[in-house]
Amino acid sequence: MFELDEVEWPGSGAAAGAAGPASIRARALRRTFKGGIEAVAGIDLSVETGEIFGFLGPNGAGKTTTVRMLCTLLPPTSGSASVAGLDVVEDAAVVRRRIGVALQEIGLDPVQTGRELLELQCGLYGIRGRRARERTGELLELVGLREAADRRTKTYSGGMKRRLDLASALVHSPDVLFLDEPTTGLDPASRITIWEEVRRINAAGATIFLTTQYLEEADQLCGRLAIIDDGRIVAEGTPERLKAEIGHDVVSVTLAGADPRRTEEALRGLAGLERVVAEPDALALYVDDGAGSVAEIVRRLDRDGLSVGAISVARPSLDDVFLKATGRRLEGHDAEQPEAVAS
Amino acid sequence: MNDVLLLGRRAVREIIRYPEATIPTLFIPLFFLAVNIGQVSKTFPSSTPFLEGQGYAAFQLPVSLMFAVATATSGLALVTEIDLGYFDKLLVAPIRRSSIIFGRLAADLVRGVATSTLVLLVGLAFGVDVRTGFPGAVVVVFLAALFGVAYAGFGILIALRTRNVQATQSSFLLFFPALFLTPNFVPFDRLSPAMETLARINPISYVIVGVRSLVIDGWDAGKIGICLLVIVVLGLALTALSLRTIARYDR
Repeated sequence: MFELDEVEWPGSGAAAGAAGPASIRARALRRTFKGGIEAVAGIDLSVETGEIFGFLGPNGAGKTTTVRMLCTLLPPTSGSASVAGLDVVEDAAVVRRRIGVALQEIGLDPVQTGRELLELQCGLYGIRGRRARERTGELLELVGLREAADRRTKTYSGGMKRRLDLASALVHSPDVLFLDEPTTGLDPASRITIWEEVRRINAAGATIFLTTQYLEEADQLCGRLAIIDDGRIVAEGTPERLKAEIGHDVVSVTLAGADPRRTEEALRGLAGLERVVAEPDALALYVDDGAGSVAEIVRRLDRDGLSVGAISVARPSLDDVFLKATGRRLEGHDAEQPEAVAS
Repeated sequence: MNDVLLLGRRAVREIIRYPEATIPTLFIPLFFLAVNIGQVSKTFPSSTPFLEGQGYAAFQLPVSLMFAVATATSGLALVTEIDLGYFDKLLVAPIRRSSIIFGRLAADLVRGVATSTLVLLVGLAFGVDVRTGFPGAVVVVFLAALFGVAYAGFGILIALRTRNVQATQSSFLLFFPALFLTPNFVPFDRLSPAMETLARINPISYVIVGVRSLVIDGWDAGKIGICLLVIVVLGLALTALSLRTIARYDR
């Protein structure tokens, strides 16, 4: 759709994932709101230059509050953070020159056209006149909105708005780009378009801090990620390493009305069983050899007269990582929280 | 300064493209002007001493000008921006936060000049004769527009403090009593003692008296000076409060 080679970037040449000095660093970062609500409970983070770093968690986990602190929009209650080597509180004004931000709520002015919005954004970053018009043209091309450039943004679809918002975060070729749930609410095609754009922006040299509640997005895009839950980081590493740390296959036994306690008791002592986690209508069994355990699982259930639904075997996913770290799944996290019944 | 101009230009564009936000604010002043003239022009004929030979429209015109320019439009635009998330986009840009306020106020000045000119022209159509001539008419428009800018600070302040559309919208209701506790229908000395006391301590009275003097009496440096002083003090106070609020926004 676009060629990023044509777009100026201060750090051009830095390949995706090429680790350099830390672009983002947080130490014991904490934010408490009125009423004592602790949105972020003292997190430590280190994101290297050139990374796409994922920040994964359910709604209300503290992702957006963390991003707002790192973007200088919200001061921390305690702890410290730096972006591009600059303190987000002491050097907030300079930090703002070095970062691009696309927040969860798409920040567009509905009365302006796409072109006017980008030209204004250029002006606010000190890019004026002919250079602003050229830069606007480049960015409209980049995000595939050249045809719609002179329409008011209120007429744009959700995906177009998201892409324009992304473009507006890029006018000054930021060193660090914060994307807060950039694909929430988008259809699968628009989501893939955004993913492609994120990869290309990263390939052109920008460090990207991306929050998401989509496991696939984190898996597809991020070199490293942290999982946040209730304001705390519960796991951190590359997706591969986090999944490998589970060290087991996951056998999912759909209960289909069977009693979860009796089912769990029937399976206790299964060879290679590390732990059992109860989900709303299933048991997740973490076993050394998933495929090799299925026959024994069926035999034990038959022995105890338990009739269950489907039994499936899978390699661990990020959702399993999340489940192991928090005791519940991220996907469908609005469902009742399951209780860990065995370990 | 460049940021103020950029944001001001954008806000003016918003006014032009979103006339439904401005046109209703003109309805009330023009309605009051027409209705008040119709109702009391026989009670106060041009021979009435305080009218100095003019029709009652000349006495009412400054009140209508105040109504026309005192709107919560900027506050509403700002609170909508907060709601949509565009305000965050501006806060994270490397600009002074004050530029966001001054950009809005610059657009209010433009809107104030346009609306007060229109109301003045309607007044002229009702037979008003601005005694200070064309220069006086320009000063009338300028004072009214400046009062609109000062008053806009109130809506902006409410928008920033409450971040709530309804609260910002209803801020205009606070202006109503302030406008009626003035010599809006008759001069100070024709008001009841209690009303006169309230009107004399109400600073908006002096804005109306100052503008009215240009229309009815002629050049009166004292009245115009006090009018300008009230506008400047009101504007500085409300703008200072808005600047303080935006500087501490989420801090």
